[in-house]
Amino acid sequence: MSAEALDTGFAEARDTGVFARAGVLRRLARDRVAALAGLVLTVIVLAALLAPWIAPYDPYFTDLTKVMRPPDAEHWFGTDNTGRDIFSRVIYGTRNTLMLGLVGVIVGGFIGGVLGILAAYYRRLDGWIMRLVDVMLAFPAILIGLAVAAIFGAGLTAVVIALVVATVPDVARVARGAAIGVMGQEFMEAGRAVGVSDGELIWRYLTLNCISTIFVFLTLRFGQIILIGAALGFLGMGAQPPTAELGMMAAQGRDFLFMAPHIATIPSCAIFVIVLAANLLGDAFRDVLDPRLQT
Amino acid sequence: MGQQIVHRLLISFPALLGVLFLCFCLLQVVPADPAMIIAGPDAKAETIAAIRQELGLDRSIPIQFFEYILRVLRGDLGRSIISNRMVSEELAMTIGPTVELMLGAMLIAVPSGLALGTLAAVNRGRLADRVIMACSVAGVSMPVFFIGLILIQYVGFKWALLPFTGRTGPVWDGGLPSLILPALTLGAVLIGPIARLTRTATIPVGTLIGLQAAFLLGGAVGTETMFSWPGVGRLAVGAIVSSDFPTAQGAIMILAIAFLSINLLVDVLYVYLDPRIQRR
Repeated sequence: MSAEALDTGFAEARDTGVFARAGVLRRLARDRVAALAGLVLTVIVLAALLAPWIAPYDPYFTDLTKVMRPPDAEHWFGTDNTGRDIFSRVIYGTRNTLMLGLVGVIVGGFIGGVLGILAAYYRRLDGWIMRLVDVMLAFPAILIGLAVAAIFGAGLTAVVIALVVATVPDVARVARGAAIGVMGQEFMEAGRAVGVSDGELIWRYLTLNCISTIFVFLTLRFGQIILIGAALGFLGMGAQPPTAELGMMAAQGRDFLFMAPHIATIPSCAIFVIVLAANLLGDAFRDVLDPRLQT
Repeated sequence: MGQQIVHRLLISFPALLGVLFLCFCLLQVVPADPAMIIAGPDAKAETIAAIRQELGLDRSIPIQFFEYILRVLRGDLGRSIISNRMVSEELAMTIGPTVELMLGAMLIAVPSGLALGTLAAVNRGRLADRVIMACSVAGVSMPVFFIGLILIQYVGFKWALLPFTGRTGPVWDGGLPSLILPALTLGAVLIGPIARLTRTATIPVGTLIGLQAAFLLGGAVGTETMFSWPGVGRLAVGAIVSSDFPTAQGAIMILAIAFLSINLLVDVLYVYLDPRIQRR
C-alpha cells in the first residue's frame, strides 16, 4: 500500500474541507446580506487596486484656493485642509489600509498556522509552542504597535509587525485544535503505518485538511485586524503624512472637526464600511463552511 | 484549584519577562549615546568613558538587563527626557484617570451588553434578536475614534451639553461631566461583543469581561488621545511621538502589566466560578 492508496481516505476527509464542498458559492449567494457584503467588498478592493486609474485627482496635489470645501459635484467627498481631493485620498487610503490588513492576516496566518500544525504533529514541541503563544497573547496589539513604533520609529512597518503579532497566537490555537482533530483520523495512523514521510503527512494530509478552518478563522479576524491598523494609524504610529491611510486621515481631520467635519468623518465612514462588509462576509463564510467556529 | 493558579502564574512569568525585555530594548535604542549627552559636546574621551562606567553602559547586555530589572523592582524607571520628572511620578499621576475611564466604560458597557444579549437570547430568531445582533455587528465594525468624533462633534460642540477636552478632576469632585463622553466612547465599543457573547452564553460573564481587557486597553489609548484625557495611554503616545524613551518604556510597561494582571485575575476567577475546569 502506498500513498496513492491512501488518497481515498484523504478524499473522504477532504469532503469536510472548504474548497471541495459543492455549492459553497451558491449558498453564499442565497444569503442576501452576505451577497451584498461580498459585492461591496469586491467594489472596494477593485477601487483600491485600480486607484491610479479611478481617482479623479492626484491625492497629494494641494490647492490652497479650495481649502476645506464640503462635498460637491466637483469634489465628491470635498477637500481637506490643504485643498487635496478627499475622494482620491480615500481611494488611496483604502489601498494602504487594506494592504496593511492583508499582509497582517496572511503573514500572521501563515506563521500561526505552521506553529499550530507543528504543535499538533510533534507533541514534544506542543508545550513550547503553546507557551510562546501564551506570551504573545500577553500583549494587546495596540501595545505591540506602540512598542514597535517607539523602537523602530512610526511607520507602516511598525503597524505590520503589530498586526502579525496580533494574528499569530489566535490562529496558532485554532490551527492546533483543528490539526489535533485530524490527527485522530484513521488515515493519519494508516499513513504513518505504511511509512509515508513526516513532511508528506504534514503537508498533504494534515495541512490540507486544516486549511479550511484556518481560512474561515482568518476571514473572521480580517475586520478586527483592519480596525487595529486604523487605530494605530489614528494614533500616529503608522503611515506618515503625506501618505494617505484612512486612520491617519481621520486623525488629521480631527483638528478641523468643527470647521469641516467631513475631513475626519469620511475616512472614518470608509473604515466602517470596509470592516462591516468584511465582518458580515466572514460570518457568512463561517455559517456555510465551519459552523463550529463560534467566536 | 491551587495547582491551576500556580500553573497560570508560571505562564505569566515568561510573559512578564517578555514585557520587561521589550521595555529594556526601548531604552537601548536611544539614538544618541547618553554618556555623550551628559558629558557635553567638548568632553574628553576619558570623561565619557568614566560616565559610561558610572552609568553601567560598558557592561554586557544581559548584565544591564538584570540591573534594569533590579531598578524596576525598586520602582526606579528613570527620568523623563521632556519634563525631567521621574517616570514613576508621571505614571502615578496618570494611572488614576485611566482606571477611572476604564471603570466608567465598564459601568456603561457591561449592564447594557448583558441586557441586550439576554433580550436577544430570549427573543431568539425574532425581530428584537435580529435588530440587536445587527447593531452589535455594526458596533464591532466601528473604529473607536469614529464614535468619539461623532460624540465630540454633536454632544460636545454643536449642542454643547458636555465637556470634551481634558479632565476637570476626580469623579467625586466635580469631574463627572468630563468623564461621560470618554467613558461613553470606550464603553460603546464593548457593548456589541458583550451582547454577542451573552446571547450565545458559551462562557461565564466573568471571563467574558476579561476577554474584553485587550479591547478595553487598546480602546483606552485611542480614547484618551482623542479627549486629551490625562491617562497612561495618552502619556505613552505623547512620549513616543516626542521620542521620550524612558517615559514611553514606563507607560508601556504599566499597560502591559495591567493587562497581564487582569488576565491572571480572570483566569483564577474562572477556575473559582466554574468547578468543571479543575477536573481537566
